[in-house]
Amino acid sequence: MSYYDFHVHSAFSEGESTPEEMANRAKILGYKGMCFVVYYKGKENLEKIRKEIEDVSKRTKLEIFLGIEARNIHELNKLAKIRREFDILLARGHDINFNRKSVEMPEVDILTHPEFERKDSGLNHIMIKLAAKNNVAIEINFREILLSSKTTRSFILHNIANNVMLCKKYKTPIIICSGAISHWQLKDPSILQSMGCLFELELNEAKKSLTEIPSRIIEAVKEKRSRKWIMPGVKEI
Amino acid sequence: MNKMKTLPPSLRDRKRYISFQIISEEPIEYSDLESGIWNTMLDFLGEYGVSKTSMWLMKDNWNNDDQKGIISCNHKSIKDIVATLGLVDRLGDNRITFKILKISGTIKSLKKRQVQNYT
Repeated sequence: MSYYDFHVHSAFSEGESTPEEMANRAKILGYKGMCFVVYYKGKENLEKIRKEIEDVSKRTKLEIFLGIEARNIHELNKLAKIRREFDILLARGHDINFNRKSVEMPEVDILTHPEFERKDSGLNHIMIKLAAKNNVAIEINFREILLSSKTTRSFILHNIANNVMLCKKYKTPIIICSGAISHWQLKDPSILQSMGCLFELELNEAKKSLTEIPSRIIEAVKEKRSRKWIMPGVKEI
Repeated sequence: MNKMKTLPPSLRDRKRYISFQIISEEPIEYSDLESGIWNTMLDFLGEYGVSKTSMWLMKDNWNNDDQKGIISCNHKSIKDIVATLGLVDRLGDNRITFKILKISGTIKSLKKRQVQNYT
């Protein structure tokens, strides 16, 4: 089974572990690929990171992708214009307007933890429908659950369950990620799968969100990075 | 003293055995692992939730050299147990990660698999 973890922070961004440590641990846990998520700091920095990632990928024989996480609407618009320069565009969910903008943009691949630091789930049925239409996957972030406790954890679990229920209803893709910032926070795929099942996902649906949905994103990314691609829905034939 | 008669198979819990390996900074002792798992289970699932799982960490099957062990539970609560194992990320100052090796209905088949992996 080809498992992927598409939200991992290494020492490139806010992470504690080196990309090599992360990749080695992912290999031990049985992943086929992963995505190192960074924040945009200019083209030169991006090229440097890409080279390092390619080196690590060759050494560990793991598929490694470069993802950029947008933190506000201004950044999101800027990244949408240079979509070809990196693999995966993630939007860091928190603010309701930002969540809305993210699901409206077909350039975005993943909306990460939409319920982050919120009292509500951060998404409603309209936004979920838009996410389904624009093929934006909604993330279940394991680190959010891992690092919280007691009341906060129960609120987070409730909000995630709400989002999962809506995603199932409108057939919006769900992706389960570890959100790890250290190689100690990378989790076994079956642990992530079981956590998905606790949110009323069927076993095959939970499995899909670790295998098939990331694979679909990879295919879409390949298309977006090809020269024939002009913009969402438009390409040269 | 008379021994209590055992339940017929049809009335017994349908058991599942989860074989796991601990990846840690330093080797883990069984007692630390047991208390860590129980505390996290009780925190996350609650006393009532844990009672429904029939969870048991099997001391006889803990291998200190390989850091491999087996947890037994009933067939309905595998997901709860496996998901909760992911929440055990620290035992004292020692950071740990669980690798789930296999889930099976008998200990015999788990061990067979382990032997196959070595050869």
